[in-house]
Amino acid sequence: MRNIRRRTAAVATLATLALAMTACSSGGGDDDGSSAKGGGNGVTIDDAHSKGAMADYKVGTTFKATEPVDFSLMYRDHPNYPVKDDWSIFQQLKTNQNVSFKRTDIALADWDNKKALLIGAGDAPEIIPLTYPGQETQFVSGGAILPVSDYVQYMPNFEQKVKDWGLQAELDTHRQADGKYYVLPGLREVPDVQYSVVVNDDMWKKAGITTDPATWDEFAQDLTKVKAANPSIKYAFSDRWNANNQSLGAFLQYVAPNFNTSAGWGYGNTWFNTDTKKFELTGTTDAYKQLVTYAAGLVSSGDLDPEITQTDDQAIQKFVTGKSAAISGNTQEITGYRTKAPKMKMHLIVLPGGPAGSNLAAGQLTAGQMISADAAKDPHFKAMLQFIDWLYYSDEGLEFAQWGVKGETYTKDASGVRKLEPNVGWNALNPDAPKKLNTDFGFSNGVFMPASGASKDLLQSVMSPEIKDWTNAVLAKKKVLPVSPAASLNEDELEQTSLLDTQIKDAVMAGTAKFITGQTPLSDWDKYVAQIKGLGSDQLVQTYNDAYQRTQDK
Amino acid sequence: MVTETTTPDITAVHASLTNVKETRGVAAFRIVNVVLLTLITVLTVYPFVNLLAKSFSSERYIAAGQVNLVPRGFNLDTLNYVVSDPMFWTNYKNTVVYTVLGTIISMALTTTYAYALSRRNLKGRGVFTGVALFTMFFSGGLIPNYILVANVLHMRNSVWAIVLPGAISVFNLLVMKSFFENFPAELEEAAALDGMTTYGVFFRIVMPLSKAVLATMTLFYAVSMWNSWFGAFLYLDKKDMFPVTVYLRNLIAAATQSAESQGAADTVQIGANIQSVTMLLTVLPIVCFYPFIQKYFVSGVMLGSVKG
Repeated sequence: MRNIRRRTAAVATLATLALAMTACSSGGGDDDGSSAKGGGNGVTIDDAHSKGAMADYKVGTTFKATEPVDFSLMYRDHPNYPVKDDWSIFQQLKTNQNVSFKRTDIALADWDNKKALLIGAGDAPEIIPLTYPGQETQFVSGGAILPVSDYVQYMPNFEQKVKDWGLQAELDTHRQADGKYYVLPGLREVPDVQYSVVVNDDMWKKAGITTDPATWDEFAQDLTKVKAANPSIKYAFSDRWNANNQSLGAFLQYVAPNFNTSAGWGYGNTWFNTDTKKFELTGTTDAYKQLVTYAAGLVSSGDLDPEITQTDDQAIQKFVTGKSAAISGNTQEITGYRTKAPKMKMHLIVLPGGPAGSNLAAGQLTAGQMISADAAKDPHFKAMLQFIDWLYYSDEGLEFAQWGVKGETYTKDASGVRKLEPNVGWNALNPDAPKKLNTDFGFSNGVFMPASGASKDLLQSVMSPEIKDWTNAVLAKKKVLPVSPAASLNEDELEQTSLLDTQIKDAVMAGTAKFITGQTPLSDWDKYVAQIKGLGSDQLVQTYNDAYQRTQDK
Repeated sequence: MVTETTTPDITAVHASLTNVKETRGVAAFRIVNVVLLTLITVLTVYPFVNLLAKSFSSERYIAAGQVNLVPRGFNLDTLNYVVSDPMFWTNYKNTVVYTVLGTIISMALTTTYAYALSRRNLKGRGVFTGVALFTMFFSGGLIPNYILVANVLHMRNSVWAIVLPGAISVFNLLVMKSFFENFPAELEEAAALDGMTTYGVFFRIVMPLSKAVLATMTLFYAVSMWNSWFGAFLYLDKKDMFPVTVYLRNLIAAATQSAESQGAADTVQIGANIQSVTMLLTVLPIVCFYPFIQKYFVSGVMLGSVKG
């Protein structure tokens, strides 16, 4: 029976693979809504499934299985560092933790699709890393994923970090209708700041601008000045990340919090209004309109290239050849721009503020692990939980996954400063070293650690001084917006809203792009709102508000 | 052929073609013809030349969009880099194995199936044709297919999962069937009278006389097998079993995904020149293979469709 349910669910989730298939979803009842409510009353693991587990495992303990254990692992193979069986990380884990892996190798390009396929067909390995919180929802009804919240009492490091870093509220938003969560997210001590505008220093100096703008309005004025001072450029700002009908995905994402809304890549249809305590449709709120008006202003004043469907390569080409003076970038991409234009001086501006203050989007959870439901039948189940807890959530495990082995790949002095060995490089650290920390040793590998960081200390330990200063400047200036409260939709609601959600989001994205380029005048905003309403936005918002109320009443 | 001449008989046309002085109509036709074909050739060849140029250019010039027909910042480092990756060659070897084995299996099944279907005295001919035709329009869907191949037939992580599903292309089968149907019955009757069995007729009379269609089908199967990656994506979990197309796909598709989905620290940074070299090496065998088999290719498909 469960197999059939899994298959049916998978058929629904795999629609992206767009093969000729007829999706029919099970109309089955909510019979699998378990009686156990999440939180305190977890499930106890019996002795039969505790083989290899440590008896006194707690925060600070180095995990080592009491007998050799072999876990099956879904492995995301990254083209930057193709997996090698003889990597140091595998040897170390075998020697020091008694852990080895049965890997299912999946190329990065196929990661999401094949993950869905394996889970749907019931063939998923036990450990499924690199799952963003929210992605697990589609698999929950299939029953193939473990409700891991039942077992977090076996994961002391996870629990402690959630507590120390104040992440419980955000974690709670990922509880499903049964009150449990099914993903162990990557935990970050500080919010993720990576994206901003990269500017061409020489061109900005020419315009007499030497400091970063304090607000986005100032940024717009700066662009006008830069264009005036550099007659050779057609547009001061020509932006990238326009794929999948999401124009200016990165730019709108990092500007939006300063208008107290979400947009671009960060766009979500529902926005929690903290005053009315109700969800609203993001794309029709006044804040969103204000943001769109701002972006449209950049285009109409001739500062922003109206080509907001161009490819990344086109936009980068304009920037590195000096045809534009600014482009979106992030802490890694700026290195890429520099290799493409070695003589150009550039920097990431400290993110400016906006009418709603100087804010960062909420969210300190990042990609983490799902565990397959079958893993609970593994005699080494408890050991697996301890191992995951140690590797992904303990200070020691995180440091090991990032930096490798003291003496082999790095050194650490008395003050705690880590340095890569001279013959080992990673990204901007020792860029000319013959060996790479990830390619040759397997460390700093997104499969074995949250790729975008965990503790602030560790995160900043691998940053170049420039990026570290930038990050600290942004964090010092910004206030983090509150997390939207949980609205746990049940299975039926999820099914009903998923279609609405997609079509409304598509319409918002299309509408946004038209307003920004000036194809639709902003005076037509009401028409656009009516169009979104026509697509069923009221029903969507109502469903969320009902679910929110239900969650509150519990 | 439309000309101004009053007698458009064959000798006149022939004369006009060989004559030094051509009529205006023929000249115009030729000019249009040459211009059009040159244009098409340029359109087709340009991407290949560009790929070649990019393969030997330095990343900097590619990023600036300055590489068109001639490499700029010429270097062989990229080529050396790709060629020195053992996984590339492992996957390349896999592709060759899958293609050869897959083509052999496909050809064996398709020719015998098509020949049998082409016999008018075959009992249940309609049913056998129908069975094949049905799969052309309906399929079980992705997950059922996966479960059948991976969990029922236990072919996951084996070469059979790549070469067996889809071994018979119904389109190819039908082309071949109609080719065999037009085979002169007298020839086979004569062979039968001389004491040949059905198999003898098939192997020693029909096959040697069907080189054109066999070559065409071999080409069809081999090229589609060489290019395929979906089967490997579905059924293979081990990197050293992947065909080179999956290797290539990972380099290219992954690099074009939005950086957002990966976290900036893990952004794919594969140089455009590395992509180019890999593409070049992957496409090379097929490009070399084509010219030699092309003559059959033209006559072969036609042969199947022309009723004698």
